[in-house]
Amino acid sequence: MALLEVDHLSVTYTPRDQPANRAVHDVSFHLSEGEFVGLLGESGCGKSTLGNAVLRLLSPPAHITGGRVAFDGVDLTEADDEQLRKLRWVDLSTVFQSSMNSLNPVIRVQAQFADTFAAHKVPGDVTERATELLELVALDRRVLRAYPHELSGGMKQRVALALALALRPKLVLLDEPTTGLDVVVQRGILTRLAELRRELGFAVLFISHDLGTVLEMADRVMVMYGGEIVEDRPAAEMLREPRHPYTRGLLGSYADPRLPDVRVSYIPGRPPDLSRTHAGCLFTTRCPHAEDPCRTIHPDLLPDRGGLVRCLVAQENRLPVVTLGSAEAATVLGSHFPATGSLDRPADAADAAPVLTVERVSKRYTSRRGMRTNTVEAVRDASFALRPGRVTALVGQSGSGKSTLARLVTGVERPSSGEVRFTGEGGADVRVDRLRGRALRDYRRHVQMVFQDPFSALNPTRTIAYALSRPLANFAGLRGAAARERTAQLLESVGLSPAGQFLDKLPHQLSGGQRQRVVTARALAPEPRVLIADEPISMLDVSIRAEILELLGDLVRERRLAMLYITHDLLSARLLADEVLVLNQGTLVERGATREVIGSARDDYTRLLLDSIPNPFGKAAGQQTLPST
Amino acid sequence: MVYFLRRFVFFLGTLWAAVTLNFLIPRLQPGDPAEAIVSRLAGQSESVDPAQVQAIRVMLGTPDGNLFDQYVQYLGAVLHGDFGISYTYFPYSVTHMIGQALPWTVILVGVTQIISFIVGTLLGTWAAYRRNSRVDSVITLGSTFLGTLPFFWLALLLVYVFAITLHWFPERGGYGGGSSPGWSWLFISDAFQHSVLPAVALLITGPIGWIIGMRNNMVQSLGEDHTRLAVARGLSRRRVAITYGARIAILPNVTGFAIALGGILGGTVLVETVFNYPGMGRLLLESVSSRDYPLMQAIFLFTTVGVLVANFLADLLYGFLDPRVRKVESA
Repeated sequence: MALLEVDHLSVTYTPRDQPANRAVHDVSFHLSEGEFVGLLGESGCGKSTLGNAVLRLLSPPAHITGGRVAFDGVDLTEADDEQLRKLRWVDLSTVFQSSMNSLNPVIRVQAQFADTFAAHKVPGDVTERATELLELVALDRRVLRAYPHELSGGMKQRVALALALALRPKLVLLDEPTTGLDVVVQRGILTRLAELRRELGFAVLFISHDLGTVLEMADRVMVMYGGEIVEDRPAAEMLREPRHPYTRGLLGSYADPRLPDVRVSYIPGRPPDLSRTHAGCLFTTRCPHAEDPCRTIHPDLLPDRGGLVRCLVAQENRLPVVTLGSAEAATVLGSHFPATGSLDRPADAADAAPVLTVERVSKRYTSRRGMRTNTVEAVRDASFALRPGRVTALVGQSGSGKSTLARLVTGVERPSSGEVRFTGEGGADVRVDRLRGRALRDYRRHVQMVFQDPFSALNPTRTIAYALSRPLANFAGLRGAAARERTAQLLESVGLSPAGQFLDKLPHQLSGGQRQRVVTARALAPEPRVLIADEPISMLDVSIRAEILELLGDLVRERRLAMLYITHDLLSARLLADEVLVLNQGTLVERGATREVIGSARDDYTRLLLDSIPNPFGKAAGQQTLPST
Repeated sequence: MVYFLRRFVFFLGTLWAAVTLNFLIPRLQPGDPAEAIVSRLAGQSESVDPAQVQAIRVMLGTPDGNLFDQYVQYLGAVLHGDFGISYTYFPYSVTHMIGQALPWTVILVGVTQIISFIVGTLLGTWAAYRRNSRVDSVITLGSTFLGTLPFFWLALLLVYVFAITLHWFPERGGYGGGSSPGWSWLFISDAFQHSVLPAVALLITGPIGWIIGMRNNMVQSLGEDHTRLAVARGLSRRRVAITYGARIAILPNVTGFAIALGGILGGTVLVETVFNYPGMGRLLLESVSSRDYPLMQAIFLFTTVGVLVANFLADLLYGFLDPRVRKVESA
């Protein structure tokens, strides 16, 4: 008997005013004692719903509509509230996504431990036990006296992990535990998690969209698509030979940025609408290998080369063989996006006169607390230049001063010392750090932003046409029919075609990738010369990230834009940027051509950032040489 | 500590601003309002005490004289509670009139407000705890329905049914002809009888806002991740509802409640008018309709100060209840 048995589980959302949506459909899997299983999938694939169903934490309108979940032989789907309550946390605990508030904000950390112990009548001294647990996750006992808001994101997540281990459960369900955390912080937590698991021997169900992390951490990986498990096999096997085209697509969107030739692919199209019934395979519309039977026959999850796969073509052994990360793989996988190494860049781009120069800029923030003043130097003596047709990546941890630099460049803030210069039309020299009022407004038409979160960067109550017409009216004075025509052109230029389909839609009717395209189109509306993209892909699904990168890369080249690409993700920097600046605590510690900085980093901090990237290929390296061309 | 100190300084600042505005506004009027009042008083009755004239001048200003000296005098008068005399109730002073009306309002409205808040919070908590059940529907729909009825209509209905038709309670006033204010049993029972109908009217509508607010806040906090995690940790339903639901949901209501308490000093004009109740609301209405400036001004000052003090107390309480606020303020 396995520790966790999920049999034919289905979960359906039945909202009052919308069609029912079968988020999880006929899912079966077993998890043995001490096993570390990853559940990989993109947003909306049903992975979190599945996790909540296992924990019996679904809230209306979601309901389990079929199947059962058994833990250690006890049927959780049949258990009543009191039975469940006694079993919870003692046997089965969880850590939620870090970006959410999983700790009660108005009581101290200690009280949350006390609550847990009291609920299960654990005898003994709470402080002593809680201190021990905090030591497990390398936190000081002072944290007990703190309120959650006084802790950093990483510390909160460590507390959540300590709390999850409080009663020494047999299974810990981790739902995106490090999403939204900094790479370096994430690395620390994952390392600790792996060590603890070895020490304490609990089983883990690790739910994440981040395949680098899942593949590195898990023994076995299940891939979910459209509410179904489409592939299930040991992580090392999956890396060596993914068998489902979707898994291949996902893996294709990942690569080690340190390799000399980096290529990633993306999966065009969108996930299926689960409120409708589909004949055939759910992935058909996005699948490069789809055949006629795929459109009518719904494949079963069948044994295949030491794992399980739900694909007719794979089951009949007719999938092309592919080595991941190679150029050949990219062509086999369909759409692909090569790193800049192989791009045809205008030869003069590197020497072109800079559009924007930042010279020896520092920014200090002073906060006053009682009689003491506290000065934080957010940016220290930074200099760089942005040139037309080139992408400069600004890389660093959160809190390293990346966003402060962006604010200085856009003129939202003024530097404490140093100069920001912009070369205006006709070569006019503009001192950005001295602009005010009208002049600052005029300057902003030349410097536009693409924001991180496409979900909150657009007014949810206004149409796409309206969102794009505002900058046109403000900066170009276009109104009415002229504005509408220009809006349509802009949409076409970011690949939303035919534009007529999108003009009158509201943001929520578009997918994340489409929304980010709209945000990009809006930034292009005033025909800026500098584009600042602040983590533009970090909120998007893995399979479409490369698509947005490709769009940004094309725009930079075609329109000769100068781009400042702010990111913590070195892979995307490697793909998009010509030049990389590494920022550590406000100081630029390393800079140079992208391939050199990432391929042979000299600074310790740059190396730390590189080493923090989850690297499943390192794990597979035992069985296989790193893919290269 | 920084938080509390900061709030106190802020409170003193606003208080000073309110008192100063009260000093400046009559002085911005053209002419000499004090003279106008004195002449109206003189026309009304035989003699005006020169000391009273002086008090009016201090409150409302004289066209000649140093503004700063006037301000100092005014602050002194305010500190001593000397607001001049009311000319509708001449020769009674404004302080005397307010002193007469205040206990009525504070007892009637204060008690009903406190009961409303407690009842409303409890009902709201219950509705959220049993969300989407019959209890929830009855509480939510019932209170929404009552909330849509015009208050004066409800009050008149109460008077018609329980006073005029059934004769259970007196229909108007604060006490009957047979008793006079004092600490006698007769007066207290009489005043209680008179207060039942207005109190009921206030209690029908009072809790509605607290119910709806509490229910919605709590439904939201019960949907938060920390609540889900508390359930996953195996905490009992009751524990989750209280520490993770109600404890957080009550925060915005605390501020609302304090402000409502502060507003009591202004009286509840509508209810006191319908029931002809001798409180601050009726006094305010009368002072406005008879253009009794000194009285009006004093009532406004009272109300402002009341709201400010209540707000200050709410801030203190909030800082105590919600640790996040302290942090934000001191950061």
